[in-house]
Amino acid sequence: MDKQFITRGVQRCSTGKFLSWMLPWAVLLAFGLLSAGLCLIKGLNQTNMDNRFAFGLWIFLDLTVIALGAGAFFTGFLLYILKVKELRAVINSAVVIGLVCYSGAVCVLAVDVGQPLRAWFTFWYPNVHSMLTEVTFCISCYLTVLMIEYLPIVLKNRQLREVPSFLLFEHELHKLVYVLAGVGTFLSFFHQGSLGGLYGVLRGRPFAFREGLAVWPSTFFLFILSAAAVGPSFILLTTWLVEKISRKRLVRPEVFRLLGRISGLLLAVYTLAKSVDTLIWINRTSPESGFAAWQYYSWKPFGTWILFAEIVLFGLLPALILLTPRLRLHTGWLVSAAALACFGVALNRFVMTVQTLALPTLSFDPFLSYFPSWQEVGTFLAVVAYGVLVYSFSFRYFNLFPEERELKLQMAAQEEEAALAGRY
Amino acid sequence: MLPWNYGFEWNAAHIIFLGAFYTVLVVVATTVVSALIRARRDLGAKETEAIRWHSDFEELPVSDRVCRHVLTGEFRERTCPNAFDCRHCETHGKWIEHHPMAQHPEFEEDVLGMAFPLDRFYHRGHTWARPEEDGTVTVGIDELGERLLGVPDAVELPAPGARIQTNGTAFRVHKRDADVRILSPVDGEVIETGGPGRGWYLRVKPDATGEPAFRHLLRGAEVKAWLNREMERLQLALVSEGAAPTLADGGVPVDDIAASYPEADWDAVCGEMFLE
Repeated sequence: MDKQFITRGVQRCSTGKFLSWMLPWAVLLAFGLLSAGLCLIKGLNQTNMDNRFAFGLWIFLDLTVIALGAGAFFTGFLLYILKVKELRAVINSAVVIGLVCYSGAVCVLAVDVGQPLRAWFTFWYPNVHSMLTEVTFCISCYLTVLMIEYLPIVLKNRQLREVPSFLLFEHELHKLVYVLAGVGTFLSFFHQGSLGGLYGVLRGRPFAFREGLAVWPSTFFLFILSAAAVGPSFILLTTWLVEKISRKRLVRPEVFRLLGRISGLLLAVYTLAKSVDTLIWINRTSPESGFAAWQYYSWKPFGTWILFAEIVLFGLLPALILLTPRLRLHTGWLVSAAALACFGVALNRFVMTVQTLALPTLSFDPFLSYFPSWQEVGTFLAVVAYGVLVYSFSFRYFNLFPEERELKLQMAAQEEEAALAGRY
Repeated sequence: MLPWNYGFEWNAAHIIFLGAFYTVLVVVATTVVSALIRARRDLGAKETEAIRWHSDFEELPVSDRVCRHVLTGEFRERTCPNAFDCRHCETHGKWIEHHPMAQHPEFEEDVLGMAFPLDRFYHRGHTWARPEEDGTVTVGIDELGERLLGVPDAVELPAPGARIQTNGTAFRVHKRDADVRILSPVDGEVIETGGPGRGWYLRVKPDATGEPAFRHLLRGAEVKAWLNREMERLQLALVSEGAAPTLADGGVPVDDIAASYPEADWDAVCGEMFLE
């Protein structure tokens, strides 16, 4: 029914099957929108956050998806600025992932901040002393850049490119995409850093407070590094997932290995930097604030296991796997390591957000616990459903993996050879 | 923060942040506006077809973009850098300077039971161009192309007076679920239209005449080498689109290949073979 909108030469499931795949996600999105609507209309009393526990599931989600979505800027940087041509195979998918992650994060932030009709206040009356101002400006700008980068992908749709103006605009915009990639890298660098920086400057929260370079605490650099490290891993993971779900070969194994190698290298650097930072924090920063580091880990369930998991299990281990050429040859190892790296960044953002707020800092402070309300979970799920819907739609109607057609022909050639070998 | 905003101060931090923010906005806006202006200029200069072909060409599998001299075995490996427009290719120019390509009007190449007269030039998108004595050029679909399309369901021909460009759309053919853009082998003005039953589709008054005007088209000994490669591509296209491999060595393609493969995605097969 919609075949004329699907890229020529690639196979997609029937319209009915596609709609039945989309339906549950659409229902989940509807439930999420209801949850978000309740929060917007009735206020944050719909959540389990309060003045002490002001950052919860939503901020954790925002930080995580923004880190995972870093694959868009980093892949664009590697492809268009450093000319790593092999990444052309995944750049469109990376842009869609970036767009989904960033737009999802902005929507959840809008619910979290509330008063959407006054959203423009953040630009008009910014708090000049807040790192969040830089984050807001950078994320808004980068989301605009991502939408512009998404435009050529949409306009390349088989039917849309029949319209001459669309074809020409897409062509000319694509020729200038390196400018957007450069701007995206600049913006991402700063907002990833500022997101980390906003925890590092919390003097009243010695668990998160860090020393650093000039006005930037070490978390500024760690957030940039960790996002750049897991971005390629997340692209690897999502591409593999899409291959499994659609039962198609979408990129060459060499591209998977390249993504793994890039991710592994950056993850190793990040793990080293994180370890050094942790040692400095344990031995100097924290004692100077009047706390021995072990005290933070005496509050269950936040034991030292969480530090071990963050640095060794989800940092060093996947870095070693991804940096070992022999292991990179196996998809299982590659995908497992990429998944571990992604879990690692999620855990890091959880620790920075939830553990920081849960720990007592004054002698009369209690240890706080927080469990999200169903409205918070619903809003969280809406972002997941929205992501799946946008990505599925894009995968069906746009050419997210330019090598798919060629790989299909290669597989046909292999089948042909196998058939001939069987015949003779 | 901004000069007209509450809280703004003329100090280094505010100016640096403001400068960076505005620079980003200006760069992004300039990029989009510049793309719009260039697109408008392209539209005015009637570049649509050339850009469409370049875009399509870039998306062809690498194996489909090989240089004509690889087909003939003259080069071992080379991807065409000129989107099959050898008129501007230095390598091809030098090659034919030292190895003139002969045309044999009296011969007809027979490849797998298909006739490929050598009195004409062949485009890799399965069209041919035959220079006529009155200076016009007749354009048609080659025999493999005709067997792929069988009897077309519909043909959309340009009106006499319309201009066509090399590698741009010459005309469109509809067959089953396939809507195929047939690429033009020459630049020129359409002066007459034919159709499937007449053996030719367009008569064109070319913009240029003589050998250089047809330099990008295949001829003579190249035709057989190219067709052997095309049969391999067809085989692969059929297998990848759900048809069983049936073109055994020594076999001859049937007159209406589409009718023989009702299960195949004919749109994809035609897209592959007609370079769209």
